[in-house]
Amino acid sequence: MKDRIACLGYGALTPLGQTARQTYEAVRKGESALGLLPQGSPLGQDAVVSLFEDRSVLDNLSFFDTIGIKAASQAIEASGIDPSSPRVSFILSTIKGNIEALGSEESDYSIAESAARIASYFHNPNPPLVVSNACISGLAALLQGRRMLLSGRCDYAVVIGAEVQSRFIISGFQSLKAVSASPCKPFDDSRDGLNLGEASAAIVLGRSEEGWEIADGAVRNDAYHISSPSRTGEGSYKVLRYVLDSIDVKDLAFVNVHGTATLFNDEMEAVALDRAGLGDIPINSLKGFLGHTMGAAGVIESILSILSCEDGVVLPTRGFSEIGVSRHVNISSEERPCEGRAFIKLMSGFGGVNGALLFRKGGRV
Amino acid sequence: MDDLIRELKEKVIETLNLDGMTPEDIDDHAPLFGAEGLGLDSIDVLELLILLEKNYGIRLASPQEGRKVFQSFAVIADYVAANRTK
Amino acid sequence: MRVIRTVNIPSGTDLVALYREQMEEYPKFFKMDILCKLGFLGTELLLKSDPDRFVPREDRAVLTFSRFGCECDDRHYSGTIDDYPSPALFVYTLPNIVSGEIAIRNRYEGETAAFIIEKYDFERIRSIVGDVFQDRKTGSAIVAWIDCRTETEWECQVSLVEK
Repeated sequence: MKDRIACLGYGALTPLGQTARQTYEAVRKGESALGLLPQGSPLGQDAVVSLFEDRSVLDNLSFFDTIGIKAASQAIEASGIDPSSPRVSFILSTIKGNIEALGSEESDYSIAESAARIASYFHNPNPPLVVSNACISGLAALLQGRRMLLSGRCDYAVVIGAEVQSRFIISGFQSLKAVSASPCKPFDDSRDGLNLGEASAAIVLGRSEEGWEIADGAVRNDAYHISSPSRTGEGSYKVLRYVLDSIDVKDLAFVNVHGTATLFNDEMEAVALDRAGLGDIPINSLKGFLGHTMGAAGVIESILSILSCEDGVVLPTRGFSEIGVSRHVNISSEERPCEGRAFIKLMSGFGGVNGALLFRKGGRV
Repeated sequence: MDDLIRELKEKVIETLNLDGMTPEDIDDHAPLFGAEGLGLDSIDVLELLILLEKNYGIRLASPQEGRKVFQSFAVIADYVAANRTK
Repeated sequence: MRVIRTVNIPSGTDLVALYREQMEEYPKFFKMDILCKLGFLGTELLLKSDPDRFVPREDRAVLTFSRFGCECDDRHYSGTIDDYPSPALFVYTLPNIVSGEIAIRNRYEGETAAFIIEKYDFERIRSIVGDVFQDRKTGSAIVAWIDCRTETEWECQVSLVEK
């Protein structure tokens, strides 16, 4: 019991739904929130993005803080924990937080203070931790939550991933020629870049025999380049190999990959999967539904993968049609049945970081 | 052409923060990429694309296109001379 | 967690002079933002006498802690958006790039991460680093507290720690 760290409650607010369940159902129906930025948008031009329509805020709070709180509220309620307990820790995953407030009040811009406001909204007495590890932030935050529980320092961890899009972020990814002006096509032969998205998602972690377990996880660096992934998929291969110590490949239902639809990311992941002996395991990328939601991605994609694995399906890779990577991967644009009781969440990001988490279903086998 | 090559070298040194380098240190025909050249990387290519657009009104379609032009300063100068709009 | 040794780079130090004095040519240094330069140079000072540097290893993590992340570079990059957004500046607006640069330089293929906490707190950092040591392969880490509000005022402390 002591060592089994499980997901006790989920929450999400995305352009596809007001809850994790609604978002999941929209994805099952094949809906996507991706759309081209309208002419004259203050966020920029020539980019397909996934944005919230409703931008209402809670009293005196920024939109970023608001969506973080809303997703966390759902997860906390579902888990039934008391968030004001000193045995609860808050972990926030984001890459740029309230970057739009740059130049205004320091307290508005600071990610540390955003996290503090979110934790204090729930009357939590502990200083929150922010994990800002590029595109793998959400996965790294869940791993850190698991570790904090294993260390015994807390009984519950509320892990929140949130990202709001801005001209700052969109222009930055465009300057790196990473953004597509059409809906992204993960692993496809004609893929030409990613779509940025906003979302918020939360998972409450605790020790339990029930529910989906985060059974293992690792983060490794390519030590190759700050913005180009390793050609040999070094770090991605290493994190896969690491979590495969804790599972038999035949028990894996699927690998939910990063699949941003940039040329280099998807090719690198294909190489890493192949090297790790996972070429035949079904894989999927969820970027075609919600875009790349950055700090939220690791959390929301984990939740959607859990819900789909519960239902015995591998979600389709929206936007994929013809294979465009050099190694054999088992990918499909159609929903497929699956039987395994476990899956791997895989991610990579700038700074050469790569991460994998192993999720395993609760109950008796 | 020699003046243009020199001007390009100065701009590239400044834009890419090539510390301690002077235009004289760079051979007109030396490769820009790889260990034998200036050791530029993929982000440098993107900055060079901006440099050409900003200073000479030249828009290259993609980084791949850029790589063809950014072979050496002599090649860049030829290309700029033939295609500049400002 | 056992602290093996620690170096500080005092606020206002001439970082270019320190670079020239302490290390061989590493052109990428001049492309880094201030946060990155500090973490990078701090690690150079820390590891200068290490006999077995630059051998690829997976057992050493690089963990940075900060309050404001990349605020200086956020402002620099922001200033380029209206004209030609600079990719070289944008990448450094991600707080974890410094851990990536240290990993690249030293060929550390272990865990890298960037954490933001509201203030320097040794005990808190110690417990988070302790969590990272739960990794089955990680045996040591470069742990840095780097915070800079401006290009001339900062706190930079880099330590080598063992499990």
